[in-house]
Amino acid sequence: MIGTKIMASNFANGVLILSIFFSFLSNLFFFQKKFNLSIRLFNFSSTLIIFTFLLLIYFFYSSNFSIAAVYENSHTLKPIFYKIAGTWGNHEGSLLLFIVIIAVYGSLFSILFNKAESEKFKSWVIFFQNNLFLIFLIFLITTSNPFDIIIPRPIEGLGLNPILQDPLLVIHPPFLYLGYVGFSLTLSLVLSGLVNKNLNSNWAIISWPWVMIAWVFLTIGITLGSVWAYYELGWGGYWFWDPVENASLMPWLAGTALIHSMLVLKLKNQMKSWTSLLAIITFSFSLLGTFLVRSGVLNSVHAFANDPDRGVFILMIIFIITLSSLIIHILFSEKNKPITNFFLSKESFVNLNNLFLLFFLFVVLLGTIYPIILSIFDQTISVGPVYYNTILAPFVFIFLILMSLGPLLKWSNKIKLQALYIYIFIFILCLVLSIIIIVLSNSYDLILFLGIASSLFLIFSILSEIYKGSIRIKPFYLPRLLSHMGVGIFFLSIFLNSYYSYTKDFEIKINETKNFDNLSLKFVDHSIGKIENYLEMKTKFEIRSGKEVFNLEPSVRKYFQPNQITSETSIKPTFFSNYYLAINFPDSQSIILGARYYYNYLIHGIWLGLLLIIFGGFLSVFKKRI
Amino acid sequence: MKFFLVFIISWFSIAYANEAQDRTNSITKNLRCLVCEGQSVYESNSDFAKDIKTFVSKKIKEKNTDEDIYEFLISKYGEEIILNPDFSNKFIFLWIAPILFFLIGIFFIFRRSNEIR
Repeated sequence: MIGTKIMASNFANGVLILSIFFSFLSNLFFFQKKFNLSIRLFNFSSTLIIFTFLLLIYFFYSSNFSIAAVYENSHTLKPIFYKIAGTWGNHEGSLLLFIVIIAVYGSLFSILFNKAESEKFKSWVIFFQNNLFLIFLIFLITTSNPFDIIIPRPIEGLGLNPILQDPLLVIHPPFLYLGYVGFSLTLSLVLSGLVNKNLNSNWAIISWPWVMIAWVFLTIGITLGSVWAYYELGWGGYWFWDPVENASLMPWLAGTALIHSMLVLKLKNQMKSWTSLLAIITFSFSLLGTFLVRSGVLNSVHAFANDPDRGVFILMIIFIITLSSLIIHILFSEKNKPITNFFLSKESFVNLNNLFLLFFLFVVLLGTIYPIILSIFDQTISVGPVYYNTILAPFVFIFLILMSLGPLLKWSNKIKLQALYIYIFIFILCLVLSIIIIVLSNSYDLILFLGIASSLFLIFSILSEIYKGSIRIKPFYLPRLLSHMGVGIFFLSIFLNSYYSYTKDFEIKINETKNFDNLSLKFVDHSIGKIENYLEMKTKFEIRSGKEVFNLEPSVRKYFQPNQITSETSIKPTFFSNYYLAINFPDSQSIILGARYYYNYLIHGIWLGLLLIIFGGFLSVFKKRI
Repeated sequence: MKFFLVFIISWFSIAYANEAQDRTNSITKNLRCLVCEGQSVYESNSDFAKDIKTFVSKKIKEKNTDEDIYEFLISKYGEEIILNPDFSNKFIFLWIAPILFFLIGIFFIFRRSNEIR
């Protein structure tokens, strides 16, 4: 029996090594200009790696504790669903998933892209993809092999971090990875375009769906993480400027800048060198995100399974990949004479878009790494939400206004100012509306006023565009209209949410009633029970908020393996808002319960905005020609 | 009349209690939980956070100002307990650098624009 288990591990290791071997061979044949064979070998190698991933899933499924990764991150008491999810809930498994996704993107491209005249371009793309694949595969085998064995086989596993035992968290990491690992193909496409000197509008048309799909997955991944944080962490918020959240936001911002500059490349055959630089930046930030999460340099709720030694390795890999990409960029980038644009043209506004997005990126980067840099000089500081909100807010207002105007302008041409008069009228309308909202809700605040006005302006300018083309909106514009509308709704909801939500913290005994201005909370009932692999304390509260009366039933769970407490919030959604209650685990036998009550205004608007952004991006993947 | 007086006093004490609670919250939201990972004292349920919360609300009841409380906490735990950066020297780079970044970017965009020339 033990023999077969060890054999299983040896077998998996054998397949991994075989995969490396074929990946090397693929390089070898590429240099001998046997392009077809080289592509096939890459595909074979990626099939092998997908197979090892399935094998690892099987080991997790069957609780094979002779595999170290399974022993460290699983437990027989765990439900099957989470046993399988445990495969990528740890460093080794998630790195294997990372490699699998590099492989899948590369292979899919090699299968779906079939243009006889671009054979050379295609094989260069696969060559670069293969080398990214190889670098990470070697990293996996040398520092984080998921198939390391333990002898003798332990009887029981150590368990998965219970906070990760949530259906959303099972799908959140794969989507995130499909996103930022997806940008590996973007990098390969750009490098191949540079080397073959065909980084032009045709290149942008070929690459568009591949860049967009990665961007859409990344957006979904970030959204899922945010929704999860809202429901599971019990802090009432959807974004905490946590360093790991920032790590996923940075490649998103760079990627968003990239798709806008690709538009210019696609339509005007301009911004070639800039687009390739952005693609390099985007993938580098994806890697930096991996480094920040995996290396343990961060204090964060997400930084599970970390190890400083691996951090050094990842840092070296980032350095090598970024540096070699930049060298290729410098050597092959076409030196064209600088093109000047009219200020009121789409080109200028795409430039401005890129500037703002990179500015946001710079702020997030600085806020995330500044504490790390200062810690080298033995100074410990932290950078909290107030920093980000303060410095970003004024720029967001201007960004939203530019975003409303940009799409109305013309390519390479001055627009007649008369065409914009109607928008001056709309802008004044938005100012008036914002004043009305502010006066009615009796909250006089400049930030709130500017926030509402600028996001309303974006929403209304899109509505007017839809109205003008009312008979039939060209499918051409639909993705942009949807996504930009999503951004408008997203920011409007954020501003309103942050001003009209409130929180009450209180301590309460059973049968006690707490009264606040317009709100009363009564602690009605509680019970404690053991369920699967945790102890759960359930509670029941009766809430009276204005005229509404309803029950909320938050609970807390104490997991045994490993010992950890998680909070299950209870939320009553209405059309405009959420009533949200979370409780703390009471001290032993104490009858006083700490609880947090949140009134969250317009939180649905935030989710709706994100959904529209995602849907618009998704449509754009399949947009035939631009 | 007596009833009315009791009502007023109890209303004031509730209002006062709420105000004290709000102040405690706003201070603890700006304190970093030193034993947790990336949480504020306000958000955390750790023993450390509980002690700090009790300490802050006690100090507020004793009519200490926010500055007094911060000063005491910094002298005891060091500056890392403060979560949000202010405009002091140590953080000036955090505020200046992004603005510079933006201005340089604007300069390049305007240089490429026809009408300005």
